[in-house]
Amino acid sequence: MAPTGRRTRMSWEFALPDAWAGGAQDAAAGAGVCDPAMENEAFAAFYSRSARPLWAYLARSSADPALADDLMQESYVRFLCAAGAPALAKDGEAAARLYLFRIATNLLRDYWRRPRTASIEEIPEEFFAASSHATQTEAQILLEPALRQMKPRERQMLWLAHAEGYSHREIAKVMGLSAASIRLLLFRARRKIAALLRECNVADADGRKS
Amino acid sequence: MNLTSCTYEKEVRQLMARGQWPDACPVELRAHVSGCRTCGDIVLVSGAFQQARVESLAAARPVAPAVLLWRAQLRRRNAAMERVARPLLGAQIFACAVALLAAVGFAGLEARNGVEWLTWSYWHDWFVQFPQAAAAQWDSLSSGSLAGSGLTWMVLVPTVATLVLLGGVVVYLATDKP
Repeated sequence: MAPTGRRTRMSWEFALPDAWAGGAQDAAAGAGVCDPAMENEAFAAFYSRSARPLWAYLARSSADPALADDLMQESYVRFLCAAGAPALAKDGEAAARLYLFRIATNLLRDYWRRPRTASIEEIPEEFFAASSHATQTEAQILLEPALRQMKPRERQMLWLAHAEGYSHREIAKVMGLSAASIRLLLFRARRKIAALLRECNVADADGRKS
Repeated sequence: MNLTSCTYEKEVRQLMARGQWPDACPVELRAHVSGCRTCGDIVLVSGAFQQARVESLAAARPVAPAVLLWRAQLRRRNAAMERVARPLLGAQIFACAVALLAAVGFAGLEARNGVEWLTWSYWHDWFVQFPQAAAAQWDSLSSGSLAGSGLTWMVLVPTVATLVLLGGVVVYLATDKP
């Protein structure tokens, strides 16, 4: 993605010989850099609008707020470094946001694929705090047990469709699947979680009565 | 499980997305949703997810964008430096390969004279006799009998060149940062 106008190097690149800064220039060009100050402003505006939704997506898909923090930062850093990332000025914020969600989805997938062993010290405090029933909101009480029974991919699809309001085609772009597959998978996932939510509602109502 | 879609699905989805369900919804559509499983699922699931989204947005604590810009710049700089360092690594590998070839060649030449050179006593004698032999060689070279000592030059020049090359490689590897 070529920049639309005059391209100025970032401040640190002035300190490097051309050959050294060459790769960085390419990366900057990929991110649609026209002017560093403008880029910073545009990015800050984009970040302020997209960071919270992205964090919500990561936190709900992974059920781990600390992991969501890490992956969110990593997603933005990769977005800024990616040579093929959509330019905010040229391609628009919607395309940039889709690209960002795609990076986050891939990072989550990589995280789930990675074999890991966790000690008790590594588990974040929020994990234990969240398990306290008294501090949970109604949505958490009903949705979280149901989400926990869903597969990671189903959680991601459901969140993108029903929380972010993305179309099948947009979800397909984010998840790297075909739109037809998304339609079927989403239908199944929605059926499954609806049944679970109804069960939770019934159990919750019974619990309140008793 | 059959993929059955409802004609009202899109409308229900739009109402949910705009937050107009159930207040701004026609009575007929509400009646339809209460009897349609697909639309009922959409209403139930979308309602739960949108509520969860509102809570999650409030819970998010994003870092300052400047931190991310700085981290991205740092990563791009490191990538650029890595790209520059790649040919240097190639040069190091090439120098090592040349040194190894020279060592193997030298060992091959010496092996022609038998395997005696592999013994300790051979090298002991060689070190003892080397100063005398070198002095004799130098005398013969300085006396101008170059024609007679052609073979000696053929051995001496590559040996010195190999030593210089090896020395350069050793110095470079010793001073190179990891």
